[in-house]
Amino acid sequence: MKNKRIMHFFKEIRRAFRLQRIFAALHLKKLMEYKADFVIGALGFLVEQVINIAFLAIIFGRVENLRGWGYYEVLFIYGFSLFPNGLDHLFFDNIWNVGYWMIRKGDFDKYLTRPINTLLIVTVEEFQVDAFGKLIVGIALIATSLRHIHLPFVWYDIPLALIAILFGMLIYTAIKTIFGSIAFWTKRSGHLMEVTYNLNQFSQYPVSIYSRAVRGAVTYVIPFALTSYYPASYLLRHTQPVFSILAPVVAAVILISIALFIWHKGLSVYDSAGS
Amino acid sequence: MHPFKATKKYLNTYLPFTRAGIQAAMAYRSNFIAWFVGSIVYCLVMYYIWLAVFNASGDGMMNGFTMNDMTVFLFITALTNFLTDSDGSYDVGEEIKDGNIAMRLIKPVGFHSTFLFTEIGWKLLVFALIFAPVVTGVEIFKYNAYGGISFTVIHFLLYMLSMTMSYLFSFFMNVCFGFIAFFLKNLWGFNIIKSSILRFVSGGVIPLAFMPDGLRQALEWLPFSSLCYTPVMIYMGKYSGGEIALRLAVQFGWIIVFYLISKLILSTALRHVSVQGG
Repeated sequence: MKNKRIMHFFKEIRRAFRLQRIFAALHLKKLMEYKADFVIGALGFLVEQVINIAFLAIIFGRVENLRGWGYYEVLFIYGFSLFPNGLDHLFFDNIWNVGYWMIRKGDFDKYLTRPINTLLIVTVEEFQVDAFGKLIVGIALIATSLRHIHLPFVWYDIPLALIAILFGMLIYTAIKTIFGSIAFWTKRSGHLMEVTYNLNQFSQYPVSIYSRAVRGAVTYVIPFALTSYYPASYLLRHTQPVFSILAPVVAAVILISIALFIWHKGLSVYDSAGS
Repeated sequence: MHPFKATKKYLNTYLPFTRAGIQAAMAYRSNFIAWFVGSIVYCLVMYYIWLAVFNASGDGMMNGFTMNDMTVFLFITALTNFLTDSDGSYDVGEEIKDGNIAMRLIKPVGFHSTFLFTEIGWKLLVFALIFAPVVTGVEIFKYNAYGGISFTVIHFLLYMLSMTMSYLFSFFMNVCFGFIAFFLKNLWGFNIIKSSILRFVSGGVIPLAFMPDGLRQALEWLPFSSLCYTPVMIYMGKYSGGEIALRLAVQFGWIIVFYLISKLILSTALRHVSVQGG
């Protein structure tokens, strides 16, 4: 019995990956049609990040370090933060639409008729290529900083970094889903999502610059710091290895469970807004 | 027509747009409150970064700014950006895309004026809900930080004047940008590029005083510093009387230039407009 359920679960996951591939291919075809739009979208997020980096460069022209973190270390942390953020943006952008208008306009109904988990179909339907702007900056920043700093590198840092990025991405997705689901009750929650999502700005810099209260909030309450600062500082200095890698995993699992619970609770109270 | 009568007729025509703007803003108030909370988060992040910078540098004063000055700068900048930001480019662009611009063009009202008066309605509500509390908060902070009242009515009025000009400049500049929608579909991406760059060159990310000399001087004379930096510096009392007069004149000059450009683009574009669908 149990075996059968596990089998079923894996089948669902396989199906999800297959759907993701199909939809991604569909979007890439759309891109070929609107090349200029894709370039502008990606460029938008790229420029946004570059301006933040220019700010850091000007600041570090004046001071040697920020609470013990040098310029290239800060760039590394900033660059690292763009991976979980960018991947979530790439794969799970559609949750924004649920919060902003899908439920309010009744467009959500179509998902209920599909023979697959609703959250799954919502998330795989969109493939947001604008996110490449963030990912490109992330890669560039990591590459630049690595030319100037020496990591205390061991081979298992690579799988650990990948785990941290994967679960960091899930932290973003879960937080978006939790606040997006509120729209099942209120019809619209996009702005609430935006307020919470914006807190991720705290995670792009070393959390040691913040007051205790802010640090606690971004570590334990809305734990965006777990997606960036902690794993990045582990890679930079091998400090707090257990917490830095384990905490993002634990937080992601807890948040995803909460997100799934609220989503399904929300589905049960959903009645179409229609027009 | 008698000028007084003409003004009255003008206002009679366009004040209903302002009323509609206020109503729309009421309906979407959660929208801009969320947006404002977002900019407060940004202010807090910047605040802590600057705190670390001032700590690391060891000087109490950098480029004429103390940490207290910087705190006032961050919050007044956020507020000023919020009030002077104009959605003109988005609205014009959307109407070009969906063809609604035709409806606007066949009515006996000015193209610019209808957008302007609608947005003024929005701004009035923002003013009531956000401006007053933030300025009060900043003044209380200043009272505690500097020990004593440093609020002067004349600086405040000059700030309001400068900010109004910032808004007008922002409006005409954004209308110019809006016509780019003739060529582009991805206005969203374009707007992110535009607003990121503008925030930087208007002194909204980092005070122009912190930038390398050549860049700073160029940016002070270019139109963009009048979007944000000029009013904020006036509010903070960083400009002398003569400098204020000069900066206000520069702002005024750029408004005229962009007003003329937007008129020119409009008249050229209208000769080529062909609205599809309906």
